[in-house]
Amino acid sequence: FRAVPDDGGLVDADEDKDIKTEASNDSWGNNNANDGRLLSPSPGSSASAGSNKSAAGASEEQQTLLAVLQFLRKNKLTESVEILRREAGLPEDSLEPKGAESSGAGSGGASGGVDLEGGDASSLLTAGEDQPDVNVVLSAYSQQGDPALYEVYYSGLKRFIESVLDCHRAELSQVFYPLFVHMYLELVYNNHESEAKAFFEKFSGDQECYYEDDLRVLSSLTKKEHMRGNETLLDFRTSKFVLRISRDSYQLLKRHLQERQNNQIWNIIQEHLYIDIFDGMPRSKSQIDAMSGSLAGEAKREANKAKVYYGLLKEPEIELPLDDEDEEAENEEGKPKKKKPKKDSLGSKSKKQDPNAPSQNRIPLPELKDSDKLDKIMYMKEATKRIRLGPDNLPSICFYSFLNAYQGLTAVDFTDDSSLIAGGFADSTVRVWSVTPKKLRKVKSAADLNLIDKESDDVLERIMDEKTASESKILCGHSGPVYGISFSPDRNYLLSSSEDGTVRLWSLQTFTCLVGYKGHNYPVWDTQFSPHGYYFVSGGHDRVARLWATDHYQPLRMFSGHLADVTCTRFHPNSNYVATGSSDRTIRLWDVLNGNCVRIFTGHKGPIHALAFSPNGKFLASGATDGRVLLWDIGHGLMVGELKGHTDTIYSLRFSRDGEILASGSMDNTVRLWDATKAFDDLETDDFTAATGHIHLQDNSQELLLGTYMTKSTPVIHLHFTRRNLLLAAGAYNP
Amino acid sequence: MSAPKTIPKDAQVMIQILKDMGITEYEPRVINQMLEFTYRYVTTIIEDAKIYATHAKKSNVDADDIKLAIQCRMDQSFTSPPPRDFLLEVARQKNQTPLPLIKPYTGPRLPPDRYCLTAPNYRLKSIQKKVSSSAGRISVPRLSVGAVSSRPSTPTLGTPSVQSVTTKVGTPVSLTGQRFTVQIPPPSQTTTTKTTTPSTPAVSNVLINPSLIGSKNILITTNMVSQNTGGESLKRKHEDDDDYDAL
Repeated sequence: FRAVPDDGGLVDADEDKDIKTEASNDSWGNNNANDGRLLSPSPGSSASAGSNKSAAGASEEQQTLLAVLQFLRKNKLTESVEILRREAGLPEDSLEPKGAESSGAGSGGASGGVDLEGGDASSLLTAGEDQPDVNVVLSAYSQQGDPALYEVYYSGLKRFIESVLDCHRAELSQVFYPLFVHMYLELVYNNHESEAKAFFEKFSGDQECYYEDDLRVLSSLTKKEHMRGNETLLDFRTSKFVLRISRDSYQLLKRHLQERQNNQIWNIIQEHLYIDIFDGMPRSKSQIDAMSGSLAGEAKREANKAKVYYGLLKEPEIELPLDDEDEEAENEEGKPKKKKPKKDSLGSKSKKQDPNAPSQNRIPLPELKDSDKLDKIMYMKEATKRIRLGPDNLPSICFYSFLNAYQGLTAVDFTDDSSLIAGGFADSTVRVWSVTPKKLRKVKSAADLNLIDKESDDVLERIMDEKTASESKILCGHSGPVYGISFSPDRNYLLSSSEDGTVRLWSLQTFTCLVGYKGHNYPVWDTQFSPHGYYFVSGGHDRVARLWATDHYQPLRMFSGHLADVTCTRFHPNSNYVATGSSDRTIRLWDVLNGNCVRIFTGHKGPIHALAFSPNGKFLASGATDGRVLLWDIGHGLMVGELKGHTDTIYSLRFSRDGEILASGSMDNTVRLWDATKAFDDLETDDFTAATGHIHLQDNSQELLLGTYMTKSTPVIHLHFTRRNLLLAAGAYNP
Repeated sequence: MSAPKTIPKDAQVMIQILKDMGITEYEPRVINQMLEFTYRYVTTIIEDAKIYATHAKKSNVDADDIKLAIQCRMDQSFTSPPPRDFLLEVARQKNQTPLPLIKPYTGPRLPPDRYCLTAPNYRLKSIQKKVSSSAGRISVPRLSVGAVSSRPSTPTLGTPSVQSVTTKVGTPVSLTGQRFTVQIPPPSQTTTTKTTTPSTPAVSNVLINPSLIGSKNILITTNMVSQNTGGESLKRKHEDDDDYDAL
């Protein structure tokens, strides 16, 4: 026997090797080791918060030891019992077996392959479950009942739930899908193929329609070997599906399931589901439907409670000598300025620190160089000429169609001042075009640079080699399709991420590749530079997002927690947070400072492909394959809006420069404009909403939709507002 | 053209598989691609299984051989990303270290040269005979001071050829000490040796910025004897080996 270490987080080093070689008919001790590894983080991530992890760990170990003792006793291994009891120092009376059910389950499980529960039955429910009795832990170590009876259990539960009051039924119906999937996976994992197939056929039709894709994947999974390469499903099996149920409904369920004959399914539920209980009215079906759909259930309330500094950083003071134009030193102190145009986010009027903004040096940011200061001046100049958008003043849209791309255009980006456009292609090239009449030039060779006059005023033009001037440049270097592209804010660098697992940094002065950042060994789906430069984030198939700095060849932070590929990564305007959207249909917000996940947003029913932060940093918009745009309040961690209208995957989202209009582009060949100010205007953020996360989403998509603009069979994969609020869109013509 | 085209049975099976997996829209070439992949995969597995069977001195290939072949191929070609707890552990460790401070005024912020792709990926072949028995990998700027033919007092990376270097000293040099810091200028600096391919020991002048020398403030004209390569000498000082395969 091996007592499995159970303080979540500690991983036995030598158990690492076992993970790939699990044979199907292991002794259960060996299986413990394997699954113990898989499960050990989940106790940590489930109810018991980090602080009481050690306390929970100790009591869990105690329970584990007791469970082992009981098991030994049942199997009449009296000598081992004595030895273990003596060594573990357990008192004599702790060996009382409790409950006939568990012993039945225990002995039944000893023979076949067994699953492991990390002994975190004690930390399962926040409903204040008293000291778990040993049999719960014991049953957790054994297979949950007879496989042939799974259908019976499930039907029994179904009948019960259909018989409860309407108000509770919607909530309790949430249990169906995770229970179904977990039971099915258990059957497959323990090699009960025929029972699994029968189980699937009988009950898969009852599930919610938005789980259709998942069910289809499951239907092709009939043997244990099929699961082996599928990390997403393995993670799903070992993590707990979170359900949010009101206390009343929960009591109903618990009372029913703790009756004698339902103990089995109660054990199964306890093993695989995490029920986050709230006090209050049960939720309606529509409310539940709005928030569910992700692979991990919903977010626990406490997962969204951390403080997020969503405010913007203060703009730096820029001192410049007076020009002939109305240029003036930007003054932070708020002293009267002559002819100062509207400041927007620049030229902060407030002298006090915004309480919701991070401090300037919360994360180290690069200092402003002279060229950056010049850029900022240009930015402010352009901002004065910016058009104010609104429902009665819609932006003009300029569409850049990529011709002859033959469906090979996989990524597009514009520089912030809209002077360059870059395209990533499936043939692994990156092409950069100049949008303005100014051509692209390379820097002269070192020999020629030697000969120029360094002191002249136009030295920055002289270093450019006129012979290399062209409209576009091709950058070759990747060995796979380029899925993500990002310009640096100072227009010196271009990042590209590709299916070959690398992220490459290109210089836009020499148009050569400078660095290849290797870390993901699997396709990297998206990458983005931080708004302040220097940092960039990338996310890929290995389910993590990494934060890099251009001068470190290894990532600085790893954001791990998603169950499936990270498909979209975006920085917050203050560079302190990173939002990642994933194929597991959740969006997570990560803190750059310490790598913690501070927000989890669920509600999409398909992989997320587009994310956009509002310019004021308070809100996040997300688009997915289900054709909906969801709006999130970052501070409170709530969904605040849902924009229905698109009929196909949304690949791009962008807020206008002042945040009044949200533009969305989709595979259905349209660009839609939504009224963002109105969508965020009336938020009910009273205490109840904030506490429980219940939202009453108004069905006002039609009112918020300001316009739909169709292209001629060109899916829109990128949107960009120029500094003057002209909307640029890009896509590949696809006849 | 004359007879109606019938789809081969394999293709019909593939169409059925696609339908079962819920894929309704696809280009016709997808079926060809899927069939090709299937054929290649199955052939590889069966060939591997045959090898294992012969190795085990069995006359027939049986299920165990196939299983072994599949398992080996999975670990080789179809790897999957690391499991979640491993990732969580690695992430936990990596996220504990604080973010490094950013040094100001450092020019382009790039990783150390060995991790960049900025090194030249060519080497110029030397035609002249090697004078010394050095490894001859990187030429060293010979430091010459005034009329003194000095041996460089800094660690040398290769033995320079002893030519009449001293006669080529240009500007007079002011010294502040005996030890000189030899700085090989980075590629972006002005240097003219890059493209010269010496057939004779070409001696060229390299201007070193005073700022590179640090506190010494010496303006030195050095003569670089490009023995083997022109390009290698442009590496930064702290690199001391060839990194031709550096990323």
